[in-house]
Amino acid sequence: MQEDNFPCQDIMTAVDFLQNFLNGISIGSVYAIFALGYTLVFSILGIINFAHSAVFTLGAYLTYSLAVGQFGISGILAGFRIPFQLSFPISLLIGAVLSGITGVLVERCAFRPLRARDADSLMALVSSLGVALVAVNVIQYLAGSEIYSFPADVYGDIRPAIMFHVAGKVVVIRTVQVIIFAVSMVILAILVYLINFTRIGKALRAVAENTSTSSLLGINVDRFILYTFFLSGFLGGIAGSLVGTSFGIAGPYFGVTYGLKGLAVIVLGGMGSVPGTVFGGLIIGLTEAFVPSDYSAYKEAVAFAFLLIVLLVRPQGLLGQSQIHKV
Amino acid sequence: MEDFLQNNGFLLVTLTQQALLAISLYYPLMTGQLSVASPGFYAVGGYIAAIMGTIDFFAPWRAVLGWAIFPLEWLIAGLVSAVLAVLVGIPALRLRGIYLALATIAFVEILRVLCLNMEITGGAIGIFGVPQMFENRWSYIWVFGPLLIIMLLFTWRLEQTRVGRAFKAVREDEMAADCMGVNPTYFKVMAFVIGAVLAGVVGAMSAPFLNTWNARQGTFDASIAYLAYVLIGGSRSMWGPVMGAILLAALPEILRPLKDARLIINGLVLIIASIYLPQGIVGALQRLRIFMIRRVSSMSGGS
Amino acid sequence: MKQLVFFFVFFLIVCISTTYAEKTGDPIPIGIGVAQTSNVALFGQEQIIGAKIAEKLFNATGVNGTKIRLVYQDTGGDEAGTINAFQNLINQEKVVAIVGPTLSQQAFSADPIANRLKVPVIAPSNTAKGILHIGEYIGRVSAPVSRVAPNAIKQALKQDSKIKRVAVLYAQNDAYSVSETGTFQEAVKSHNLMLVSLQKFMTTDTDFTTQATAVLSANVDMVIISGLAADGGNLVKQLRQLGFKGTIVGGNGFNTANVFPVCGKSCDGILVAQAYSPEANNPTNKAFVAEYHNLYKKDPPQFSAQAYTAVQVIAEALRKVESVKKKKITQLELQVVREELNKAIRTGSYITPLGEISLDRTGEINQKMFYVSRIKMDAAGKVGNFVIMK
Repeated sequence: MQEDNFPCQDIMTAVDFLQNFLNGISIGSVYAIFALGYTLVFSILGIINFAHSAVFTLGAYLTYSLAVGQFGISGILAGFRIPFQLSFPISLLIGAVLSGITGVLVERCAFRPLRARDADSLMALVSSLGVALVAVNVIQYLAGSEIYSFPADVYGDIRPAIMFHVAGKVVVIRTVQVIIFAVSMVILAILVYLINFTRIGKALRAVAENTSTSSLLGINVDRFILYTFFLSGFLGGIAGSLVGTSFGIAGPYFGVTYGLKGLAVIVLGGMGSVPGTVFGGLIIGLTEAFVPSDYSAYKEAVAFAFLLIVLLVRPQGLLGQSQIHKV
Repeated sequence: MEDFLQNNGFLLVTLTQQALLAISLYYPLMTGQLSVASPGFYAVGGYIAAIMGTIDFFAPWRAVLGWAIFPLEWLIAGLVSAVLAVLVGIPALRLRGIYLALATIAFVEILRVLCLNMEITGGAIGIFGVPQMFENRWSYIWVFGPLLIIMLLFTWRLEQTRVGRAFKAVREDEMAADCMGVNPTYFKVMAFVIGAVLAGVVGAMSAPFLNTWNARQGTFDASIAYLAYVLIGGSRSMWGPVMGAILLAALPEILRPLKDARLIINGLVLIIASIYLPQGIVGALQRLRIFMIRRVSSMSGGS
Repeated sequence: MKQLVFFFVFFLIVCISTTYAEKTGDPIPIGIGVAQTSNVALFGQEQIIGAKIAEKLFNATGVNGTKIRLVYQDTGGDEAGTINAFQNLINQEKVVAIVGPTLSQQAFSADPIANRLKVPVIAPSNTAKGILHIGEYIGRVSAPVSRVAPNAIKQALKQDSKIKRVAVLYAQNDAYSVSETGTFQEAVKSHNLMLVSLQKFMTTDTDFTTQATAVLSANVDMVIISGLAADGGNLVKQLRQLGFKGTIVGGNGFNTANVFPVCGKSCDGILVAQAYSPEANNPTNKAFVAEYHNLYKKDPPQFSAQAYTAVQVIAEALRKVESVKKKKITQLELQVVREELNKAIRTGSYITPLGEISLDRTGEINQKMFYVSRIKMDAAGKVGNFVIMK
């Protein structure tokens, strides 16, 4: 009889819900961790730094070459391998620092000359885009376009997935996704503390508010912008490496999809709001995960639908404030 | 001559087509709006042509109209683009600056995903075997070429009329224009629609040219490319986008021997041009002309 | 307007001019239009290697003394690039025939152009349905998916007769995968298995959590995947990590060693249907395998063998054209060579690394031997092998 099936059906749906929820959190934290670096730069300079996708990608490649190193068959570095291999955490750190330095270089080459001339912010967009193109293609030239995977034991001897048993069925999440979620939460906490409770953070907020006034007040605007870009690159490098361990480094363009969705994340969260960004990433991830599998092909449009709706209805996003306080 | 056209015809036609698409981006820019929506309309136009050219529903139309089905495709593509542009434009053009750019990016992506999934657009595989207008590729210059010339003349004339001046006014200062009785939204939408219709018609012409059509025709990468054309060429006059398109679209072909490096060079061009040539190449040439004129007059004139 | 003149001059300056020839070149140019860049390059690389070996071994005697010369044009991974590459090969390089392209998806868009210009195309790796319908100048040495794919399912059932519940996953944006999955799904039905889950993905996807968890919750015994190496491999890795323990059958996209770095240890045990075995016992294959061992110290992959075969077929057909026309190829007009070549390709049979094959009137390959391999990875998950199952 129908009645008998009802309790079982409820549980099944609850299990599916839980699974989808976990899936959503996993992919959502990937978006969030990518967008954290993005949002830092936007809040200080008011521009979208397209080169962030390139720094994200670069970080992944750098960590890979330090930790694993064997390059494939295409590209100039085919078959090349760094003679020493470092452990993953060290490679991650060095890769992130190098990415941070790259972030600073990007600022020097692409943004500084335009700031000096007080140029249209459109130009900064194009400039950062050019940098992204160059960087990504240099990577392609060097390392080819094949997919590079981290070995399965990159985080040591942990089980690949965590399983929960719920009412006789199993709900799984891959451990690496849990790690990404945890790391993004930690980064969030550190950033919030940094921005709201330290002197450096205060200076950053001042610069974000008004660069000329801040410099009149004695803040070395250039130096703080440099810090911001370094931090943004550093975070991008970490994000890229972690995502690389989860999905593999799918070629030099693998940062670009995140770059586009990252736009939706920061707008949804509220531009310049760091907690908002994480929130935005998780919301988009969850929505994507709950799209019924018959319509799974429409998942790609979810982020952009959010972007469009937010822009038309509430441009300051969920947690951002309308143009007044940006950080 | 025949061989030259045979070998380079494709390139010539592509350059013309890219110049047209750059102009489609230039229109919203004339009113100060950065919209990268052109690839979306381009894709829609192309799909209309591809669908009308291949599916059975239109077979009787094709039989009756023969070659005339192509102009019909352009007409329908133009109409659909116009309607879509009005629907999207009116709410979206209330946004300013970067927000509008983002909204148009979102629009293009959503359109792309929709096309990726519908039966009628061939899903993710796309539509193959779109019927050709001409026997060979370079004959398409008879379609794109006149369109380009018409657009250039049209734009030139437009800039001299009231509408053109209104565009300029809105571009310089929207609030001031509003105070002077120029309705900014009306003109912004108009510019947006003209750009959209152009992109749609070019799309409808391009589907037969390229023989296949799929969702990869209307992507963010394309938006970036068109944007680069306009910015590099110069966004103040209509020659800017045209020059930019010709230069940047031809660069990868001329540099084909460098293969892998060609995209790097494209990127470098973007960086250098945006930093050192803010008015684009056309602007730089104009400054050069003024500089030369001054030098000549200071040499020939007196103190 | 002065600007208009300037504009047109600028326009024309930007174009390049070229020289032209009417007769067939010497050495005889054969075009190789495969993917040398983009992620599809993983397959293209193997094809180039196979073609190069064919060129070397064939030029020992050549076409009655005249050598062949392979001309490479990169198609990249998309349709537009393929069209450009083909046009370059046909119009600028003046090739007598083209070997390529790598993906069926690319073939659907570029082959019609070659066909219209009456240039023979031999596809080394297009196995989708409908390729040969494109035209009379299109042929292939890669057996259609309908003949190859079902063998893997048969082998899977041989290994484990208790398989009942099956999940099928495929890349919906690749014409080949869509064609292959159709064949797989029919085979599933004909073996009376239950298709309990059908999942789609895109070749550009990297996150397969949704598909994998859906498969797991459906409790399946076997998973069949149609995709390319990068996405397919990634999907397998995530499936295994999430705890799938059943049998995995991979389509032709898995037919390359390039899938090993993607799924590592997780690749172990994947069953793949193949159209080639390095152990095939015929003189051509022995020479091919020996040369490959010489250069790369390992067994040649299927994609290389098929590319070799394509070049071999063209080269041997050129010999036939010379004997029919009683003139040297280099003294015949290019267009005549192309048309005669197309006819000659479809006559007689060839002893190739794929065994004894022939192409029928429609350009379809007649091949007798097919195999199923199982991927075996070493303990570290770095080195892998396709082990042919008996």
